Amino acid sequence: MAVNIVKEKTLSQVGLVKLGATKEEGGTRAVTYTIGGDAALPFHHFEGKIANRPIVAMEVQDIEPNWPGTVKKHFEGVLDKPGEWAKKCVDEYGADAIYVRLEGAHPDGADKSPEDCVAVVKEVLGAVGVPLIVTGCEIEEKDNEVLVAVAEACTGENLLIGFAEQENYKSLTAACMVHKHNIIARSPLDINICKQLNILITEMNLAHDRIIIDPSIGGLGYGIEYAYSIMERARLGALQGDKMLSMPILCTVGKEAWRAKEASASEEEYPAWGEEEERGILWESSTASALLQAGGSIFLMRHPKAVSLIKNNIEQLMKDNSY
Amino acid sequence: MGKHLVKFVPDDVSATVDTGVNILRAASLAGIEIKSTCGGKGSCGRCAIKVLDGQVRYEEGNRSKKLKDQGLNLACQTIVEGDVTIEVPKDSRLDEHQVVLENENYGKVLEAKEVDILEGYEFSPLCRKVQLTLDPPNLTENTSDLTRLQAKLRQNTDCKELIVGLPILQHLAETLRQEDWKVTATLACMNGITEIVQVEPGHVANDGYGLAIDIGTTTVVVYLVDLSNGETIDKLGTYNKQAKYGDDVISRMIHAGEEGGLQELQQAVIGSLNELIDKLLDRKDVSSEDVHVAIMAGNSTMAHLLLGLPPKYIRLEPYIPTATELPPVKAKELQIHINPEAWVLNFPAVASYVGGDIVSGVLATKISQADEMTLFIDIGTNGEIVLGNKEFMISCACSAGPAFEGGGITFGMRAMNGAIERVRISPKTYSVQLETIGDGAPIGICGSGLIDCLAKLHKVGLIDRTGQFFRDKETPRLRKTDDGWEFVLAWAEESGNNQDVVITEPDIKNLLRSKGAVFAGIQSLLKSMQMDVNMIEKIIIAGGFGNYLNVEDAVQIGLLPDVDRDRYEFLGNTSVKGAKLALLSQAAYKKSIQLGHMMTYLELSAGTTFMDEFVSATFIPHTDLTLFPSVKDKE
Repeated sequence: MAVNIVKEKTLSQVGLVKLGATKEEGGTRAVTYTIGGDAALPFHHFEGKIANRPIVAMEVQDIEPNWPGTVKKHFEGVLDKPGEWAKKCVDEYGADAIYVRLEGAHPDGADKSPEDCVAVVKEVLGAVGVPLIVTGCEIEEKDNEVLVAVAEACTGENLLIGFAEQENYKSLTAACMVHKHNIIARSPLDINICKQLNILITEMNLAHDRIIIDPSIGGLGYGIEYAYSIMERARLGALQGDKMLSMPILCTVGKEAWRAKEASASEEEYPAWGEEEERGILWESSTASALLQAGGSIFLMRHPKAVSLIKNNIEQLMKDNSY
Repeated sequence: MGKHLVKFVPDDVSATVDTGVNILRAASLAGIEIKSTCGGKGSCGRCAIKVLDGQVRYEEGNRSKKLKDQGLNLACQTIVEGDVTIEVPKDSRLDEHQVVLENENYGKVLEAKEVDILEGYEFSPLCRKVQLTLDPPNLTENTSDLTRLQAKLRQNTDCKELIVGLPILQHLAETLRQEDWKVTATLACMNGITEIVQVEPGHVANDGYGLAIDIGTTTVVVYLVDLSNGETIDKLGTYNKQAKYGDDVISRMIHAGEEGGLQELQQAVIGSLNELIDKLLDRKDVSSEDVHVAIMAGNSTMAHLLLGLPPKYIRLEPYIPTATELPPVKAKELQIHINPEAWVLNFPAVASYVGGDIVSGVLATKISQADEMTLFIDIGTNGEIVLGNKEFMISCACSAGPAFEGGGITFGMRAMNGAIERVRISPKTYSVQLETIGDGAPIGICGSGLIDCLAKLHKVGLIDRTGQFFRDKETPRLRKTDDGWEFVLAWAEESGNNQDVVITEPDIKNLLRSKGAVFAGIQSLLKSMQMDVNMIEKIIIAGGFGNYLNVEDAVQIGLLPDVDRDRYEFLGNTSVKGAKLALLSQAAYKKSIQLGHMMTYLELSAGTTFMDEFVSATFIPHTDLTLFPSVKDKE
């Protein structure tokens, strides 16, 4: 007797977002990516087309980051040179894109001026040919100055800039619209607010193919299951035709995974936990691989080895398993 | 610990209190009612007073910069340490204005529909008078006075079980003989039992009176009904004096838990009732002795407080009331100013948060006899919703907060003279045109005005869908103060209180939460029945909007479902209407007891559906725009 294989039918698909712009398109990038477009649940090749491979962006900061030594040692000598740092990520560690985090703008920290921040972004743009993701220091008022300046100075580069939040999305949305960039819409692990923010941003006339969702993930052991379920709901919504949930999803894996004590506590302190660096790498890559299965499209990561593990994982999952 | 004299001006009244008592409490003792939304917790910032003279100590409450600048302090955070003199500004006083009752004509949009209240029920009032001429006793026919009276009553009426109270009995012998065995007996019939509640000498012409009463968290309404013909001969409304102990049922319940708090709350509501009853009886020249029955409809907390039952476990999970079916009590037990032997009845409740007012509303609107699928929404401090028809009924309650009744809104007020009820904003210049109740100078904004205002602010693009102002709009009306952003509806020179009447961003967010809670309640009920809004054939709106509600506005902001507007009906205060119906028909009263059992209660705090729906609904109009096709089309 023939087996009747039941396949989930979908009405719609995840939206497409393009990152970066080549010379012909008004930018300076050597490569660009189109992400999203899945017509099925993550990697269900047998139910629909998984159009584009998820990408991994490695993080670069404008000041020396407060990261564990096990991560920093891989960037020795370039931590104060964002351009070279970015180049190392792309050339040596295979980063698909670069994530520039302008932590130095923090008013309580280095308090860098918007001009200085623009210079850093320009330096990275000059050093690598991959698309850039840029975020500020996450202080509302300062970011509104810094990110607007970056958006303006990098007109045409089709950056991905964040973070827009429900209480503060207007200036960044306007800047992305005028200077033709993409925006990261961040919501606090809440599917409704996620949707509301997407509506608010599109109502300001930024097209929905310029929005990326950041659902505020948690690292492994720190609420990852909540993130998983929110991402799953967004993906199901997208496949059922809800345009306002159909944007590709970005996961701040590096930041959340390395915040966990388990990722960076020393071996002397917890001998039973095993070797420190290996543990950290596993913490970051496990966080990423779980969220990969939940439907993430952009992964912001830190450790080169974790990046290579997850890229390998993506490659395996992208193999067609349809029957 | 010493005793101190606290004097209040300009009233020139005083109270003697111990050291350590706060001014809010002292004012209450002196008979001055001060606004206190939070019930004296120091968080609402409404009980502003000025210390003119004397020794006090201040505690740190939520005192805004505005109050500081005006040299005002919070009454609940000002502690008496010696003799003091206090000035109570007008703004801090609990308003003494009368509540707008129905039938007072203002610009109406959805007009309260007049219904034939009895429709389908036989006219058989709970109380009636029977004129009797007894056969005098003699040596051979020598049964007792009471047996004689009872026998005659059984002969003349269909009442079989006749009971009588001691006070009647004590005067019976003389009463019967006074007019040569001609008497008028007043009978109260409830659930098959009849009590002789009054015996008067001679044949008395009038048929007696009854009271239909709605005890709301915010307002109390009393109808004086002539039981001979079922006509409401007069009605009055006022604020529930419990308001000084907090705006919502939760703060009242907390107060009830404090020492003497329950008695204070009981006295406050009885005081409000008696004030209205005294006025009504005086105005219509009716003797209090002639009022033989009062029927009350109120939410469970109000019913508990009226009867002096501790409401503590209504507030605490799993939310259990002492009783849903409350026994009849005598007026004298509650010291209500009507015939002391009169019965005071309470409508039964469904659950802790779906009370007698809703059962009464369902009775009045006759949902339980309807063929069409009906959604009944009572929007007040608590939003209660009933879905069903003659096949089934399911109900839920959601805490809407006091915003629709003007609470928690900077210039919020109830529907009375000077309340803004319509707002027009020019999309180009953002100039504002207002309509107020009674056409007076604006002093605040009422529930229907708030809904209109929210719809218009969004329509002209002054606020986004989360209620946040677009700060770059060029108009002097939009401004930033120390307390955040606000929009001026009326400038001080146009207003009736020499202040700019404004709506602030927190006001808008409050209102959004209120409307979100109501809509989420509706959605949760529908989802529990796996229905969608289009299956509802009739939507009945009842409750706290004074006299009218603009359905179009309410749909625009996402308070009410986007269905054909013809399906909406506004019935005003259905709680008091149901009470009147029960007063006039024994069958209706009996039905109300059944209704309490027939309705299924959906507890919204169980499960996550409500919270999910609530967050989606805290948006103009809703996260899911497909639920609001007509709003979507317009944009």
